[in-house]
Amino acid sequence: MKTLPQSIELMINKNLDRMESFIHTRPKVDFLFGSLFTAFDGLLRSSKDTAGTQPFIRNNYDVKRYMGAVLVALVFGWVLPSVYFYGWQTVLSRLAVSFIAGVFLADVIWAIIAREKHISEGGFVTCLFIPALLPPQAPLWLVGLGAALAILFRNIMGGVGNNLVNPALFSRLFLTICFPALLTAGYQAPVTGIPDLHSFRYGIDVITHATPLTAFKVNGELTPYLSLLLGTASGSLGETCRIALILAALWLIKIRVANWRIPVSYLGSVFIFSVFFSFLFGQTVAPPLFQLFSGGLILGAFFMATDPITTTYNQTAKWTFGIGCGLVTLLLRNFTTLPEGVMYAILLMNLLAIPIQFLAVKLRYHT
Amino acid sequence: MLRRKEKMGFHGGFNLLDTYPLKFCNIIEEIQSDRTPEKFEFHFPDQKIRHVIVNLCPTEPWALPNWVVLGHKTTAFLDKLYEMKTRYFPEASVSIAINKRETEFVAKAIGYANAADWIKIYTLDPKYPQDDPVMFAKVILGLDINFGQNITTQGIFIFDAQTLLAIYDTCILKNTVNSRLITLSGSGLKENEIVRVRLGTSIDTLLQHRTQEAIKYNIFVNGPLRGREITDISQKIDWSVNNIVVLKDQDSKVIFPMLKSDELAFTTNILGEPRQCVYCNFCDNICPVELEPALYYHSYIRGEKHKARLYHLEKCIECGLCSFICPSKLELLRINKECKALDRKT
Ligand code: SF4
Ligand code: SF4
Repeated sequence: MKTLPQSIELMINKNLDRMESFIHTRPKVDFLFGSLFTAFDGLLRSSKDTAGTQPFIRNNYDVKRYMGAVLVALVFGWVLPSVYFYGWQTVLSRLAVSFIAGVFLADVIWAIIAREKHISEGGFVTCLFIPALLPPQAPLWLVGLGAALAILFRNIMGGVGNNLVNPALFSRLFLTICFPALLTAGYQAPVTGIPDLHSFRYGIDVITHATPLTAFKVNGELTPYLSLLLGTASGSLGETCRIALILAALWLIKIRVANWRIPVSYLGSVFIFSVFFSFLFGQTVAPPLFQLFSGGLILGAFFMATDPITTTYNQTAKWTFGIGCGLVTLLLRNFTTLPEGVMYAILLMNLLAIPIQFLAVKLRYHT
Repeated sequence: MLRRKEKMGFHGGFNLLDTYPLKFCNIIEEIQSDRTPEKFEFHFPDQKIRHVIVNLCPTEPWALPNWVVLGHKTTAFLDKLYEMKTRYFPEASVSIAINKRETEFVAKAIGYANAADWIKIYTLDPKYPQDDPVMFAKVILGLDINFGQNITTQGIFIFDAQTLLAIYDTCILKNTVNSRLITLSGSGLKENEIVRVRLGTSIDTLLQHRTQEAIKYNIFVNGPLRGREITDISQKIDWSVNNIVVLKDQDSKVIFPMLKSDELAFTTNILGEPRQCVYCNFCDNICPVELEPALYYHSYIRGEKHKARLYHLEKCIECGLCSFICPSKLELLRINKECKALDRKT
């Protein structure tokens, strides 16, 4: 006798098989829906490929689980905390727009046009980053545009595995250049205390114009460290609750999805260089701990810089990569008119990663 | 003398024993064979034996476990070893590598070694591929040998317990040895068993009535990681066959695989979809000889096979762990072998 769940499984399996053979035997349908179906099927069912060469058994860990781990960490790292700080409607609407524009429009249309065989799961990660990088009250269309651009850009570069720079950051850079005004406004003040019904939905209505880093740049004002750590200071949607980000990232490091060398070298070099700069320039540069806990540094160092595709493959070179990120971040923050430099630093080092990797390999193997 | 080497061993490697816990309960004696059994033969070489390593540290779960051969007779085993040493290799250093988790054997061996200074005991972490000759030479002897090099020319001999006992029986007691123990395991069998077979029995006689009905399966000799796939099942079993693994050929899709990881785990399914390399560093973290397999992959797909050889490819011991762990399911081991083969031709 079959139990009920078993017969349901059997039914779904049979229908999926039927759909699969229907789609794959008709070139025109396959052209339009092949990759979409494969992606959907891939979420429900295992693959049917078997190992043709040694080793004949494989570990039960694939790219889907790898990306899934990043998604889980991001949900706990920024989505849940910012639901509290900015209201669920603010956060979820942005997430929905980002996913629809990024994964369901840009990726699917691209897959159809470019005849990709599959839709990459990396798109979900990128689209989960986009709202986190924008101000809480950024207009929805901006979020959608950002997500679509990020995916489009990544696909043009050759898809996951070939992108030179982090697509989410690149799209943020693009938006910064095109809509500078929109990205300096819309910094909503986070909820503190117990939210009432209204703020649970929308957050509170106060809009500040100064994030902690801008405030420091303009009038030398230091936000208290505790409020920076807990997330009660204003900032981009996903970068404020640093304690949650750190905990989520530690989990990622523990399961080895994120490489510990990068956050350690990045944060370490930010700290050491800022001690050094404070020593040289005194009060004109921000103190070391403030540097560490302000702006997008925690989000950047733990989640964006560790994106494995855009760093170096060589493990020793990762140290150079992280230190470079830290140095550029500090130079931009302290000696230019820009209040924040994490995005530029990571993008720049993403590009430099290629020569660094090249040199590291040359040094290691003496070629 | 006791040496603990688990910390000093090597980076990387993978603990297969915990990932695929296989249980063997009963030993089945003697399967009749229609042919006349072959005999085990061994001759000590003329040249000097400098190092003897006794491998009591199988790292593959499908390999023959120690208790089957040693039972409770560790001391008797070591006495035999001593007899052989005095007769055939008096000047060689004798090291015994024991899985540090098998506390009973470790305790016995240490008790024995305290009174005998001709033997060194190494308690090792049983992570794969610790029992590869290259890793043994590196961890125990501190020697750097290359994969595929004939280590006997350097005077290094590595024996497992069963072979050692067989040598004792043939060379010292002058008995005939014509059967050996092998393990049968895998998802394609009804149950996991240890069987004593006569040498020369064909694989199909052995597997008769043992494989599961109505499924497709593949047969591997000496494990699915490094062993070879058997297509001709009339092949005979000789002394080099330590174990036979029969794996289910899971070549159809399974719905909700996340709920059924047990069912899928020990099959030939690649458990994921092939993707591009995501530079996750899993492969170089796991590599026991600290290579960077993704470099070979990237050289390979760029069509620069010869370049792969620049990156110490000759050190690769073909353990297959890089392909095993790769989340993008790339055929890294195949690529390594292809690039190596290029080396040989030119
Ligand atoms: S394990 Fe696979 S995906 Fe990861 S770096 Fe190595 S080759 Fe690339
Ligand atoms: S097969 Fe070679 S490259 Fe791959 S993990 Fe083993 S030793 Fe390293």
